[in-house]
Amino acid sequence: MIPVIQSLIDATSAGAVYALAALGIGLVFGVLRLANFANGEIITGAGYALVLLWPLSWPLALAASVVVAVGLSLLMDLAVFRWMRSQSPAALLIASFGVSILLQRAFEGIFGVNVRTGAVAPALTKSVNIGGLRLSLLAVVAIVLAAVLLLGVHLFLTRSRMGLQVQAAAADFREARILGIRSGAVIAVTLGMSGLLAAAVAFVLTAQSGSVNPTFGVQVTVFGLIGAVIGGLNRIGGALIGGFAVGFSLSLFTTWLPAGLGDFRVAFVYLLVIIVLVIVPNGIFAGRTAKERA
Amino acid sequence: MTSTDTRPSPHFGWSLPQPVLSLWTLAVPLAAVWLFSSVASRISPSASIDLGYALATLVIVVAMWTFIGNSGVLSFGHIAFVAVGAWTMSLLTISPTVKSSIMPNLAPFLAETTLDPYLALLIAAAVGGLTAVISGFALMRLHGLEAGIATFALLMLVVQVLTYWSAIGPKSGQSMTGVPRSFDLQSTLLIALIVIVIAWGYGQSVSARMLRASRESVQAAPASGISITRHRIIAFAVSGALAGVGGAVWAQTNRVVQASQFGLDFTFTTIAMLVIGGMLSLWGAVVGTLLISAMNHVLGLLENGMQIGGVIVSLPSGSRLVIVAAFMVLIIIFRPSGITGGREARWPFRQRDPYLTGAITAVGEAKKR
Repeated sequence: MIPVIQSLIDATSAGAVYALAALGIGLVFGVLRLANFANGEIITGAGYALVLLWPLSWPLALAASVVVAVGLSLLMDLAVFRWMRSQSPAALLIASFGVSILLQRAFEGIFGVNVRTGAVAPALTKSVNIGGLRLSLLAVVAIVLAAVLLLGVHLFLTRSRMGLQVQAAAADFREARILGIRSGAVIAVTLGMSGLLAAAVAFVLTAQSGSVNPTFGVQVTVFGLIGAVIGGLNRIGGALIGGFAVGFSLSLFTTWLPAGLGDFRVAFVYLLVIIVLVIVPNGIFAGRTAKERA
Repeated sequence: MTSTDTRPSPHFGWSLPQPVLSLWTLAVPLAAVWLFSSVASRISPSASIDLGYALATLVIVVAMWTFIGNSGVLSFGHIAFVAVGAWTMSLLTISPTVKSSIMPNLAPFLAETTLDPYLALLIAAAVGGLTAVISGFALMRLHGLEAGIATFALLMLVVQVLTYWSAIGPKSGQSMTGVPRSFDLQSTLLIALIVIVIAWGYGQSVSARMLRASRESVQAAPASGISITRHRIIAFAVSGALAGVGGAVWAQTNRVVQASQFGLDFTFTTIAMLVIGGMLSLWGAVVGTLLISAMNHVLGLLENGMQIGGVIVSLPSGSRLVIVAAFMVLIIIFRPSGITGGREARWPFRQRDPYLTGAITAVGEAKKR
């Protein structure tokens, strides 16, 4: 029984991280129709800030990671995506792929190809034993952090004036604009939120591994993106749950696959993704709206 | 109102029958590739090495066009078929002694066979096509962005399997070395030209025309009785087979094959070539590949340091991809349909459409009155 609970807790914490990544991607997609591949490089940027600055002072590192993430998020929109607002989601996706590769090489140029290490929040690597259950502090922090951020985003979206405008823009950007919603502000706020979420992801991941390399954020972004798709890209809640499901199943596969198949855990996740998409092509929570009928 | 305007058209031109005009859209890309190759192979030894890679990449990009261009559905998954093709070529041509030392767990029938490289090439095409058909049944029901991202899951799945399954390859993530070089530049060029002809021929088929109709309108095409899924699977299969050929040629050129090579960078480079050239036309795929390959060669020389007018110019290594990425982003912003505008090569001396020209003059005269 204990190993089962143990693995469920680990899986929940992994799921929480991927849910945050997917939520960041889903929010931006909702408003801009941009499935941002370069979200990974926002996470990487925040990761570098954390790893390099944590030894100096931890509050500085935390603040810097948020500033870097939000800054990068706004910057790439200013430099690239705002010039192609009228283009198709596919073109935006390809462009964001380009931005992602571009930033990866930039990180390589600035910080080198090799892994940069640094203990981020070393206090969290401890684990406590409760009745035979090994509870990693980091797993708990990841779950709590995700819960707080999700609640925060939810409250913001449903209770604040700005949040309602973001929701309206996500439902139908053109109509929302006609009704007098300040599109520039909505876009900036959305990008800022996705930056904040990316910084949170970077915090948990660097605390786990203590290292960053130029492709640090790619894997979590790919899974987040895929999670957002299987949840339903046009529903913010769907993206969140899809991301969680991907992280959760990845962690469960890691724990429970027999030794010979353990190497194939990632392959199994992708297989699962394809199966889900075959059953529900628009995503699990997509509803009945057809996106292509624009 | 009927037009009784019989004045000769003000534009000179020879009108050609339609079949000749459509052959022209094949002849121009073929001639361009042939010309490019014969120039590049004469410049320098390093240029001919890069030419080999350029031709392998050309096959891959043309294969991608076959699906993406005709269906309008983005695919990030084609490198999976390339990987499968490269794998097939390597497993079937590396000598058994080398195989037994680097791949001890290989399935027996693979461990003992060594085939003629051209036969291996055909098998690579078959395996690539088969993989595409099987995955196509699952993936081709999706539309738009979901399809793109699901093909991406396919790529990751295939790469993971090739990395870890030691019955069909080396131990986790190691490389396969010792692919014998059996294709010289001439035969690589010939293969590339044949692939272009096949892709063009597919583009002329009824199925491809129906698929292009569905690209223009996902609503109207099924309403006219076109089964989008069916034609997409056909396109996916053709394009998967051609991508398998591309992978096999690539394996012959690179001679070292490793699962991690078929990742995001490879996907990105090939998609960038297609997008830069113009992803809706075969001519675009060819132009994009040749242009970026030439650019890559020059940038590669600059990365090693090159003397230009007494000054040694050298770029930091890795700047190739940065420049390609930046170029692609600029193209998407300023010329979204690519350099060729997504059009096929056109007969330059064509006569203006007499009805169109007549209409324009009529409008002009109406304005004068």
